[in-house]
Amino acid sequence: MDERRLTKGKNILFCTISVILLIVLLFPLFWTLITSFKTEKEIFRIPPTWYPHEWNTKSYAAQIETGDFNMFHSFFNSFMISTGATVIAVVLAVPASYAIARYKFAGRKAMLLGFLVTQMLPVSVLLTPMFIMFRNMNMYNTWGAAILADATIGIPFSVLILKNYFASIPAALEEAAYIDGCTRFGAFMRILVPVAKPGVVVCAIFSFLYAWGDLAYGMTFILDQEKRPITAGIFNFMGQYGTKWSYLTAFAIVAIIPVTLIFIFMQKYIISGMTNGAVKG
Amino acid sequence: MKKVKTFFRYDNIGLLFILPAFIYMMVFVGYPILSNILLSLQDVSVRNLVKGEKHFIAFANYVGLFQDAVFLKSVKNTLVFTISCLIFQFLIGFLLALLFSKRFSFAKTVRGLTMIPWMMPMTVTALMFKFMFSTDVGIINYIFTKLGLIQSNIEWLTTPGTAMIAVIVANVWIGIPFNTILLSTGLTTIPQELYESASVDGANSFQKLTRITLPLLRPTIESVLVLGFIYTFKVYDLVYVMTEGGPVNSTHLLSTYSYKLSFDMFQYSKGSAVANVLFLILLLVGLLYLKITMEGEED
Repeated sequence: MDERRLTKGKNILFCTISVILLIVLLFPLFWTLITSFKTEKEIFRIPPTWYPHEWNTKSYAAQIETGDFNMFHSFFNSFMISTGATVIAVVLAVPASYAIARYKFAGRKAMLLGFLVTQMLPVSVLLTPMFIMFRNMNMYNTWGAAILADATIGIPFSVLILKNYFASIPAALEEAAYIDGCTRFGAFMRILVPVAKPGVVVCAIFSFLYAWGDLAYGMTFILDQEKRPITAGIFNFMGQYGTKWSYLTAFAIVAIIPVTLIFIFMQKYIISGMTNGAVKG
Repeated sequence: MKKVKTFFRYDNIGLLFILPAFIYMMVFVGYPILSNILLSLQDVSVRNLVKGEKHFIAFANYVGLFQDAVFLKSVKNTLVFTISCLIFQFLIGFLLALLFSKRFSFAKTVRGLTMIPWMMPMTVTALMFKFMFSTDVGIINYIFTKLGLIQSNIEWLTTPGTAMIAVIVANVWIGIPFNTILLSTGLTTIPQELYESASVDGANSFQKLTRITLPLLRPTIESVLVLGFIYTFKVYDLVYVMTEGGPVNSTHLLSTYSYKLSFDMFQYSKGSAVANVLFLILLLVGLLYLKITMEGEED
């Protein structure tokens, strides 16, 4: 913090410390991955093996074949639900955040406060009323219920993040578009949204991640295992085969594939979202 | 028609952009909040749900909660859980942030990788820690035995007390990245010159930490703690998957107890009363936080 440049020795020291800390911190992931490739017998061996002595991919393969807790099937459900929720969140939040950043319309403060407050909501407040509502709408036990519910996490987060992006775009850019004959909506779509694109990507990623990680909505609003998201699948599986750790860890690894991909390819957006997001869901 | 046009001519055109999102939130969040309040003032359980009877019983559900030993235990558990998590995730996050503020070659890469736990679905995190804390195959028991800390395997998740420790450890793991990244960003805003002139005046590292870093970082520290409180106080999935509130209600939080009441015991009204107590506490803390942060900001 106080030295601008580190000496060579200190640099090596800090690099070593940080790598050791990282290994400790990420150990749970490493251990889960390793375990998913072990045989059930090897998992119970004492002392534990630090890498699979006998590579076992059956835990993954078995899940493709059997229908009951087919993890790739629930992966697909999760993917559709999360994508649906992301689309709704982005389509609604992008114009809303633009309005908050640019216009001083009636009720602006109250609406902004409303978005902030929804971020403090515990899911348990919404579960029962939503459950009753979706049943009345004939949407209970469909992807749609989970999609609509999951979008309510992404929208406020996206509005709050994006309003900063829109506020940082110079107003002159917009005015130039009006002079060239653009309508308000035309200028918004053709000039502002493209400029705010990094912010839109952050919102899409976070809306997707929130929906992907959701358990409560998916588990409560969808009854049939074939339609449930992967998190609910894991929870059910744990209830029925509590100690079949080879299958369970394989299930966990499949569930984090999209998270890993997003992390690898979009890391900078994640850090930006975490620091700008003030209040997360 | 002309009146409508004039209304939307200037700033009010913003309404056209915001209303779709606002209406959506009113329908799927606003209405449920109100209906949950109403539900908590009625007597709806599985016995009378089908018949459609909804007796208005005012605050009887809330009054009843204070004679409910499990509710009182959940309040205590939620506080113990939240405060323990806050302390540990803040301390570890702060140390990591200080480490990453040194400009060593791996700093950025390693800082990026420490964000991973935060992105995990909570269900997966819960599964991983349930596995590591399990009695016979758990790696934690193995390591503790090897280090000579324990004589025989601890039944972490089936003993009250140790189960709470296990869920706290898992939640701290999730919370560290959030603390690290926010504090790390906060540290970069402190001007280097301050440290340089302090060095010239002969200040040691500890003095620099207590006289420069901590005071200047105060706004960041405040928001990290308040936001951390809000997220931790309402944690649900993690604990529900790891212990379902057990053993003997020793890890029941307000969130998990509310879920259990509504969807396991089908006492909808009582469950929603618990949820509302949880929401009320969060709302008070949250509004206080907004009041602090919005001071000085014009909007």
